[in-house]
Formats: sequence, structure tokens, C-alpha cells
Amino acid sequence: MKRRTFLGGAMAAAVAGRATGALAQQPPIKIGMSMPQTGGLAGGGKASLLGIEIWRDDINAKGGLLGRKVELIVYDDKSSASETPAIYSKLVDVDKVDLLFAPYATVPTAPIMPFVKQRGLLLMGNFSFQVNSKVGHDMWFNNAPWGPADSWASSFIDLAQKAGGKNMALLAADQEFAQNLALTARDVAKKRNLPVVFDQSYPPNTVEFASIIRALKATKPDIVYVASYPPDSAGILRAVNEIGIGDDVKVFGGGMVGLQFAAVMSNLGSLLNGVVNYNTWLPEQSMYHAGTKEFFEVYTKRAVEAKVDPLGYYLAPYGYATGQMIEAAVNATKSLDQKGLAKYLRENEHKTIVGPIVFAADGEWKESATVQAQFRGVVDKDVEQFRKPGKQVILYPDKLKTGTLISPFEAARK
Amino acid sequence: MNKRSHSIAFWAGVAVFLVAVLAMTQIVRNEYPFFAGYVILQFIALAVAWSILGGYAGYVNFGTNAFFGVGVYTAVSLFKATGAPLVVQIAVAGLIGMLLGFAVGLLTLRMRGIFFSIATIALAIIIETCVMNWRFVGGAAGIQLQRPPVMAPFDSYVKMLFFVQAVLAVIAVVISRYIQNSRIGRGLQALRDDELAAECTGVPTLKLKLVACMISGALISAAGAPAAMYLQYADPSSAFNLNYSVSALAMALIGGTAHWIGPVLGAILLGSTQQLLAVTISSEVNVLVLGIMLVLFVVGAPKGIIGLLRPRYRLRAGGKP
Repeated sequence: MKRRTFLGGAMAAAVAGRATGALAQQPPIKIGMSMPQTGGLAGGGKASLLGIEIWRDDINAKGGLLGRKVELIVYDDKSSASETPAIYSKLVDVDKVDLLFAPYATVPTAPIMPFVKQRGLLLMGNFSFQVNSKVGHDMWFNNAPWGPADSWASSFIDLAQKAGGKNMALLAADQEFAQNLALTARDVAKKRNLPVVFDQSYPPNTVEFASIIRALKATKPDIVYVASYPPDSAGILRAVNEIGIGDDVKVFGGGMVGLQFAAVMSNLGSLLNGVVNYNTWLPEQSMYHAGTKEFFEVYTKRAVEAKVDPLGYYLAPYGYATGQMIEAAVNATKSLDQKGLAKYLRENEHKTIVGPIVFAADGEWKESATVQAQFRGVVDKDVEQFRKPGKQVILYPDKLKTGTLISPFEAARK
Repeated sequence: MNKRSHSIAFWAGVAVFLVAVLAMTQIVRNEYPFFAGYVILQFIALAVAWSILGGYAGYVNFGTNAFFGVGVYTAVSLFKATGAPLVVQIAVAGLIGMLLGFAVGLLTLRMRGIFFSIATIALAIIIETCVMNWRFVGGAAGIQLQRPPVMAPFDSYVKMLFFVQAVLAVIAVVISRYIQNSRIGRGLQALRDDELAAECTGVPTLKLKLVACMISGALISAAGAPAAMYLQYADPSSAFNLNYSVSALAMALIGGTAHWIGPVLGAILLGSTQQLLAVTISSEVNVLVLGIMLVLFVVGAPKGIIGLLRPRYRLRAGGKP
């Protein structure tokens, strides 16, 4: 799809009256990427792209990078793995971009990993999950707060065990991301000798969960770990609301995709109360850093025209932060040399609007900053409530904690 | 031209095409044409293969994605288990596609028209669900693969895959052309027009349908097999994407199904347009193009491009001259 031009950014620079002469003379720095803008991942892809575009406009208003304007070249990968190899070849071989960003999510990113490794190119990741574990590319930097592969499940299970959980039920969608989460949850449970009393996967597009929830309830689990996709997350919570889940359950949730998006959250409303679920950014005091507030002020306005998620907590600030890291690396090394940039990114801590970022040797965040938060006091049909602190109390990690767990789940739902 | 000179022209064309493709892999350094060209050649093979059953016999198969996915996962499982070379992956994928085609052919004993089409969609869903639960090939989470070293005379794996896919497209075209000009093709056309009448006049309809299903299935699965190495990644939702079915069908219909050249023209036109739109104008428009072109052709040129170019094919396709 779109080849985005940068009139907006150039005009902002002209208004600011800074270094416009230099900007006009030199060719722009081209950053290429594909982004899911149609298909299943489009909602996330568009929000992520808006975050990157806000960074581009900010950097161009400041005079660009190395005195050159920044231009994004973006194509739609239709959320599919089969589209990205040709797109990235076009970006590198025809468009001759200076830098590459990865598309949002694992599926479109996985096929380009061997390509960038073979060509020796720097690639900034965008919320993939363990795509570099087999490829081993040393110029890959995944901007997602996952951290080590098992930290996701272990944070949730930690909370649950502290609340007295002695066994676990596992319910996962038969889809890529959910299965990855389920896999790590099983591993963590095994390491801790935590019996898994229920372990079931359901096919994508399942809408009726009453029978599955009844079967799960019958096993009387203490911990219920759910790895689901947006439509199923809603279906599961509706079934739990109708049937109940039993008084034994200490903690419910973990890996439910969709509960980060404004449309799903406002649709479910009070059904969310009590659920403990992962997230990447929340409007809690501990999550604000230099520039975060200003970013969301701009995002909130632009999200309306761009028709993307009005809250944009999940992906958009990370898109902006990816730009910030590139900005810091280019300014520090004073060049676009991919190896030099990779070295800088690997060896330094990066200050961004989502907090400080340090990369491990495998290109993932060194420490997990995926939060586990509990929904509290949510009412029906009100998106604006989610902008206020206290609706999703952060329980993990400790450094970001803003409250303590209410358990058991049935008590927390009230 | 008489039949013999037609044949000479065809084989000369095939030879020139393959030599040109091979020369291109040796001369062109920019890799993008090979990435994009691979996809177009893949669609040529799929559309031609689809047309053997869907065009000649009139049995509309919506399960192209099932055969394609079977090809991809045959290659994945073979490569993971034994490190089999590409040519073995393709050959075995073709064989398994043929067996699957045999099973689909048996369905035609009881199902015709829309019922057969629905059954093929169900087949795709069943196979995809099985693969999703097959942990050896990564299940729903997908699997990453590392390509083996490339073979001479190619200097990159993508160039080699481009050539391999060109060979597969040529094989599909050669087989399709042979069927069209043989007793099988005439039998298939007879059963498409009126299966009962064909049966009564001694056309072995079941045998012909089975042959068409097996050949079509084998070619689709074989065309899908190199996709595993092209992407170096496989996941069920991409491998069994309904887009393969819709595109193969649309390409064959737009090109015209009465002659083997129809699906080739349709695949080149639609495949190139899709590749071009993906990197030029907006994504939403890209998605619309297939639908709009299909509607335009159904209304304006029901016999496809070849129907527009050569009126005599309208007769062969069952229409009025």
C-alpha cells in the first residue's frame, strides 16, 4: 500500500523555522516497513503505524536525522506471512531504504528474519514473539516488553501461587500467539511441579464457550490461564458470567488478547472486573516517562481522523519508542551504518516514552516489562473510564506495581 | 496452422520461456523480480491446475487451499524429518496431492454442483484443523525453517525457487494442454455439458473425474511445496489461506476455462496486478480489485479473455458462437 509522503512533517518543520534549507537539499532518510492494514492484524497494525508516524512528524519538526528529513515507506502485508518476503525485497532492492522496521506481529515477521540475516541488515522488531530464537540474527531488536520467553507465564503463575493456587487449568486458542503462550505456561507449570488439571485448545472462531467452561469448572482449578484471541476472549468472559467459574479459582486470565483494545473493553464493560491480564502500557502513575503524556495527547487527537483504537495503549507508544531508539542511535553514531547502529543499540540503555529499554543478546528486552493488571470497578459502555488510573491496577512487575491482587476471582468480580 | 505446426510452436515457446527464465536468474542481480515473479508463476500453476477439474470437467473446487497447504506441510514435514532436498519435497507433495485428489474424486460419486464445492471447503477446514494440532510441524504456532545451501548454477535460493516454480508452471501447462487435446479432455467436456448423457453414450465419467481430480490435486500440491522454502516459515493460517482458492478460481474464470491458455492469461493479468497494487496504491483498493475484475468479467465477458479474443472458444465453452 501506501507510500507515505511527509508533507505534514515538512510543513511542521517549515513552521518551526528550523534547518529547513538543509532538509530541502538532502535526500530523505527512508525507513521501510510492511504493516498489516487489512486482515486480522489490521487493527493493531494501524495503531502501531500511527505511533511511528507521530515520531516521524516530531523528528522532522526538530530538523530530521543527520539534517535529513525522515520518510516512511509502508506497504500493506494483509496480515499474511506470504506477502512479506516480496515486500522486504522491494524495500531493500528497489526502494533502497536506509533502515528497516518489522511489521506488527509474529506471523508477518517470521519469513523476513532469514532474509535480513543473510543481507546483514538491522531490523527493529514490532511485537513479535521469539522469531529470532532459531535464526540467531545479531542485528535484531524486538521492541516488545515480553523479555525472556517464559517470563510471561511465570509472572501470572507467580501471582496465582502467592494467592494460594495449587493447580492450573489451561485454555488456549488454536492460533499462533495463544499456542506460544500455552507452551510456555506448560513449561513453567512443569518446572514448578504445578499440576495442570485441564488443558484444552479450541479452534479459531469458536463462539460458544458454555460447554468448555462447564468442563473446566468441573475440574475445580485454582488458577485459570487463558490464552485467547479477541472474539473468543469476549465469548469466554460471557460464558464465565453466565455459568460462573467456581469459588476455588484464585486468579483468572493471563494471556487474553483483545482486552487491551478500546472496542472490546467498552463492549465487555463490567464483565472485565476481576480478570488479571497482560498489558504493555496502562495509564497508571508508574508508567509515565518523559514524553509519554505529550505522546498520548497527540495520539488521542490523531486517532480520531485515522480511525484507529482511541486509547492506543497496547502498540502505539512502542511504535514511537522504536523511532526514539533509532533517533538516539543515529545521533550517537552520526551515521546510518547498520553495524554501528546495531552495536549502539546492543550496548546502551535507551530512554523512551515506554521506559528505559536494554536488549539481551538475542535481541529481546533483557527484562520483562509485560504488566499483569487486574480490572477493577469497570462499568458498562464507557470508553473514557479507561483513561483514568485505577481501572487496571498493576500487580506485576514489582517496580511498576500500583496495587495488590484481590482474590478469589469471584470476590474480585463484585 | 495445422496441428503439427501448432505443436512445434508450443514446444519452441516452452523452450524459449525456460531458457529466458534461466538466463534471467544468471543476469539480473536485483532480487525483487524473483520474489514477485515466483508468486505470479505459482498462481499460473495453481490456476492451470484448478482449471483441469473446474474448467474442463465443470466441478468447481473451492479447496485449492487444502491441496496447497498439503503441499506446504508435506515439504515442511519431510524437510524436518529427513532434510529431504527440494525436488523430493515437490515429488512427494505431488504424490500426496494425487491421493487427496483421488479421495475428492470419490466425493463426486454423490455430490455435484454446489454440494461438491461446499464439500471441498469442508475438506480444507478439516485438514487445516489437523495440521493445527500436529505439534511436529509446529501446530498453530507455526514453524521456522532454515534453507539448505543453494545449488549451482544459482547464486541465491530465491532465484532457484523462481526457476523451479517456472518448471512447475510449464509442467502444469503441458499436462493441461495434453488433456485438452486428448480423449480425456473431450470426455470431461462431455460430462460437464451433461453428465447423464455422457454416461449413457459410453463416456467413463467416474474414471475421468477421478483422473482429473488426481492430476489437478497433484499439480496444486506440487506448486505449493516450494512455498515452505520460499517463506522459510509455515503456519496453518497462511498455508491454508482461502485466498489461494479464490485467486485460482478468479484467475481461471477471468482468463477463460475453454483453453489451457485462459488460466495462464488470467494468472498473469491478475497476479501482476496484485503484485503491482501491493506496492503502489492503497491496500483497501488492492483487496477490491479481485472482486471488481471478477464482476466485470462475469457481466462483460463470461467466457473470459480468450472468449473475447477468439470467438470460436465461446462455442467450445458451451456458449453461442
